[in-house]
Amino acid sequence: MKIPIEFVVNGEPQALFVKPNHTLLDVLRDDLGLLGAKKGCGEGKCGTCTVIMDGKPVNSCLILAPRADGSDIITVEGLADGEPHPMQKAFVEQGAVQCGFCTPGMIMTACALLDEKSDPSEEEIRLALSGNLCRCTGYAKIVEAVQVCAQRIQQDKGA
Amino acid sequence: MRIKPFEYHAASDLREAVQMLSEEGADARALAGGTDLVLAMKHKAVLPKKVVSLHRITEMAAINTEGDEIKIGALATHSELAAHLELQKVVPILCQAVSLIGSWQIRNSATIGGNLAHASPAADSAAPLLALDATLVTTSPSGDENIPLASFFSGPGATILHPGQIIKEIIILRPQGRSSGRYLKLMRKRAVDLSQAGVAFQAELDPAGEKLAKVAIGLGGMAPTPIRAPEAEGMLEGLSCAEALKKIPSVARAVVAATSPIDDIRASAAYRKLVAEAFFKQAAQEVLTSLTAG
Amino acid sequence: MPKIQIVGRSYPQIDGMEKATGRTRFASDIKLAGMLHARVLRSPYPHARILNIDTSRAKALPGVKAVVTYADTPGIKFGPRSDDWTIFADDKVRFCGDEVAAVAAVDEDTAEEALELIRVEYEELPFVESPLEALKPGAPLVHEDHPGNVAAEFKVEAGDVDRALANSHVVCEESFYTNQTYQAYLEPMGAVADVDLAGRITLYAGNQIPSMIRVPYAKALGLTLDQVRVVLPDYGGGFGAKMETNTHLVAMLLAQKTGRPVRHFNTRHDDFIAGNPRVPMYIDIKLGADKEGVITGKEVKVIGDAGARIVYSQIIVATACYRVDSLYRFKNVRAKGITAYTNTVPTSCFRGFGNTQATFVLESAMDILAHKLGMDPAEMRVKNSIGPDSVSVHGWKINSCGLKECVEEATKMSGWAEKKAKKRPLKGIGLSCCNHVSGNRAFAREFDGGAGIVRIGRDGRISVYHGESDMGQGQKTVYAQIAAETLGVPLDWVSVMQVDTDISPWGFGSFATRGTLMGGNGVLAASKDAFIKLAQVAADMMESNVDDVVCEGGRFYVKGSPDKSLDFKEVALNATDSNHGSPVMGTGFYDPPTVLPDPKTKQGNISPAYPFGCQIAEVEVDPTTGKVTVTNFVAAHDVGRAINPMALEGQIQGGVAQGLGWTLMENMVTNKGKVANANFLDYLIPTALDMPPVEPKLIEPYEPNGPYGAKGIGEPAINPTMSAITNAIYDATGVRITELPVSPEKLLAEMEKLKGSHEG
Repeated sequence: MKIPIEFVVNGEPQALFVKPNHTLLDVLRDDLGLLGAKKGCGEGKCGTCTVIMDGKPVNSCLILAPRADGSDIITVEGLADGEPHPMQKAFVEQGAVQCGFCTPGMIMTACALLDEKSDPSEEEIRLALSGNLCRCTGYAKIVEAVQVCAQRIQQDKGA
Repeated sequence: MRIKPFEYHAASDLREAVQMLSEEGADARALAGGTDLVLAMKHKAVLPKKVVSLHRITEMAAINTEGDEIKIGALATHSELAAHLELQKVVPILCQAVSLIGSWQIRNSATIGGNLAHASPAADSAAPLLALDATLVTTSPSGDENIPLASFFSGPGATILHPGQIIKEIIILRPQGRSSGRYLKLMRKRAVDLSQAGVAFQAELDPAGEKLAKVAIGLGGMAPTPIRAPEAEGMLEGLSCAEALKKIPSVARAVVAATSPIDDIRASAAYRKLVAEAFFKQAAQEVLTSLTAG
Repeated sequence: MPKIQIVGRSYPQIDGMEKATGRTRFASDIKLAGMLHARVLRSPYPHARILNIDTSRAKALPGVKAVVTYADTPGIKFGPRSDDWTIFADDKVRFCGDEVAAVAAVDEDTAEEALELIRVEYEELPFVESPLEALKPGAPLVHEDHPGNVAAEFKVEAGDVDRALANSHVVCEESFYTNQTYQAYLEPMGAVADVDLAGRITLYAGNQIPSMIRVPYAKALGLTLDQVRVVLPDYGGGFGAKMETNTHLVAMLLAQKTGRPVRHFNTRHDDFIAGNPRVPMYIDIKLGADKEGVITGKEVKVIGDAGARIVYSQIIVATACYRVDSLYRFKNVRAKGITAYTNTVPTSCFRGFGNTQATFVLESAMDILAHKLGMDPAEMRVKNSIGPDSVSVHGWKINSCGLKECVEEATKMSGWAEKKAKKRPLKGIGLSCCNHVSGNRAFAREFDGGAGIVRIGRDGRISVYHGESDMGQGQKTVYAQIAAETLGVPLDWVSVMQVDTDISPWGFGSFATRGTLMGGNGVLAASKDAFIKLAQVAADMMESNVDDVVCEGGRFYVKGSPDKSLDFKEVALNATDSNHGSPVMGTGFYDPPTVLPDPKTKQGNISPAYPFGCQIAEVEVDPTTGKVTVTNFVAAHDVGRAINPMALEGQIQGGVAQGLGWTLMENMVTNKGKVANANFLDYLIPTALDMPPVEPKLIEPYEPNGPYGAKGIGEPAINPTMSAITNAIYDATGVRITELPVSPEKLLAEMEKLKGSHEG
């Protein structure tokens, strides 16, 4: 009853047999040992399971495992390129990380936002992140971190 | 919260998909974006023996705005619709409404066909599509069938689709005259909430640009299914915008008269009516003013 | 001493990058070899007799390793502060969600499938879901041994309240209700339990009280304390909820039965229906003042809803009765609190611990009085403010107190005076103050201090051991700062070790805003001890006197001669080698000058230090929907000397977000005995879009009892938020909110009523 899927996770091709009744989140966490994406609710309401699928942030807890066949997935583990991603640095430096449970999902959404729009307004940042709940920070420092990261990326491009 | 085992198949074309679905009958489910179906399966509200994924049928995600018939593939995601430049020009009310569905993550997966097939009385895509007189092209092993959206919903979570029949695309006629539309949604938070009341107001001027050739009011969360308010619409059709603006308060009462909302933990019926009335006034004011300014 | 370098500066969390890169292993990320997965069968009824449980079909399902019910437990009654818990329901279930049976299986799918195969016969019983109903004669009894459903009573009185109120110029008499809310930490409760051949259990559980939690758990399982070891992984928030829970005991019991590691985490739904939500309270207040706005007397009556068992609700109700009395210079106060059992989810700690509820009520009443007197509400607060070096009506010794400064700063930052003077339709501004504790002697009765161990290895690496709990607030970073400062080394030389009750000191844990003060003082004491030991070695190496040796930036030198210095690491190597491998071990503890309240008079001093704060909210009310938008927010808090300003700001902003959520949207709805909104679709918490700018301001009087002068911030951050917003709503609309959360529909109706009365 398991069925084969092939997909790319964090740049690495993967060929797996998955149970159709499992989700992409189950596959990432249990089959691939990528524990960065979290299960905060399992109902697509908290955003802790957010990964980038074919360039777009999605709730991996609502994607059936076989649907990942042929897709390109990036998880929080795939962001760092030798050294941490600028978004990861900005989150840490700005104090946007408290308990950290929302952080991987939050960072994935934030990165996807900057991929789509390099200089989002504060309102656009807040709107984009509204599917990622955080109960610790009140979001202020998270929004600041995204702004700081956007500025740095812009500056690096300019330089 | 675990999903019960089922048989999965990714259909490679539409014919195969409906064939499989009709063979299994009520035990099979078509999978589009999955944001409603997978959740329902987790809650064991739906226990399909077979799930037929449509995602390989890429032509079902196409959006074609070239002719007089705007064709939206059932698998177009809310994100794709919201960001579609031509749709933003021609039917901004639809883009605006679907941009308010769920979170960004949800909008990236969830599809317009899925939103309609799920048949939530509060579905955000339904009220504006009703107001746009949308027609659904459905397909089944016995062929295609066009169903006006207005006769598609049969109750909360229920449609007239039979097993083996799925939505293929949604057709909207390109407005002929100058048109404008507005969707207002009552939420308990500023984002990511189900609609407690959704009001869509769409108006179109005659070719001379003088009178309202067409007025459409779509309502979500205000009755067992998304509905239109034909009597209220009739009160405005044929009027000039200036005349129509004056009639807004009485039309608003007619809008409310068309509704039969429920009391639940999200909102009371009385509050839904109160807000729907106010939202109608606001939407109509904005739309008619913009058409006047034109 | 060298000047303070590390304490007082903003540092990112020392393990922040681990979290941001997904490397942190949270409690729910733990996987042990051979681990089984557990699920709990919960009662579908609020009150029912269990006639029969048939687990045979579940046991027969392939992959199921154990199915347990009450019959498989030692049957010992236990509880953190009561004896009304059992691991599973015995003869009857008392709330929807009560534990009835549990399964351990090879995977979650199998465990869940097995649950459906358990057959339970129930006989439904009449139930009671409101504490007011529960206290009426003839109400169904939740626990037969508690007549009248009274779980606990509390009384406190000082001065002559009746005379004071009778002689007042104005009296506010009002009834309030604060509802049930859910902590909504993003990682559900749960644990992995492992058992060794000797029967000793290791529990990996994200929880706030890793040492204390062992006491009731050992009792429940019929074990001695030393047979329960708790290891504390990183975990996704707590906010008061993550203390004792049957969720953990289920994993422990199943590990015992199977001899294998067992993982049990609540689904989000289970976490809602069987977590530890906030204690709902009905609070009646009478508050009097003289012509000048000086408070004369206060009387409150509190009825709190314990739910179906006591977790800590009776202490929370007691707290609501009198902690707030140390905010102002009260002289005459009286309070009575009743904690009632109901057939609803047991309630417990949630950031603020009863003082949130009481602050909402007192600060609403203060606003009412200020308006009655035609007085500026800010001025009235300042006039009554308790000051530094004072003693409150219950004997609490206030050392540092920046309350007046908080009011001054907050009013300045928000433009309070101008905005109060210029009335704008549907826009309003509101103010609220608060006090709190930094440790609660009445809660941790045996002692309430803190302890630490500081180990300096042969390589010079410093390891700090403590027994508290970092649930995300940044406690580890603060401890690292204290240790680095005290030892004179760079921050990144310090590791703060995972709490492991086999190694760490006994710590009471993270509650009562005690982490920085109690745990910090413990770490400080241990750091000083380690420093003296290592400095002695350095002194010997430099042929100097230990009292003359200082360390700065990781180099020891003799005072006055910084150019001739010794590398800290070299000294550590030398110290370890001369001790044949024994590391330099500093230990120490902090004994706070607290006084356990007298059982009768309640006179005492429950905390060594008291933080204060003042928050100001600005709101706009939508006249069509009745929806309230908070447009701006300032929060000035007396935190003592800040150890990590950025972390403090984050605590304040997070506390305000929770308070805003509570005020405007958060509400657990119980319908026919069931939680009707046990999910994040209908239990609403603020998103990024719902939050206004929140501008924090730190007021930093030196607290003599705090480590480097610091006090706590966790709970004060939320205490004043609700009344700041509701007072602003009053300013905007004239509607006085007496019930949380604010319902847009009700607000709209009240606004209509007022309009009618003005027009009529």
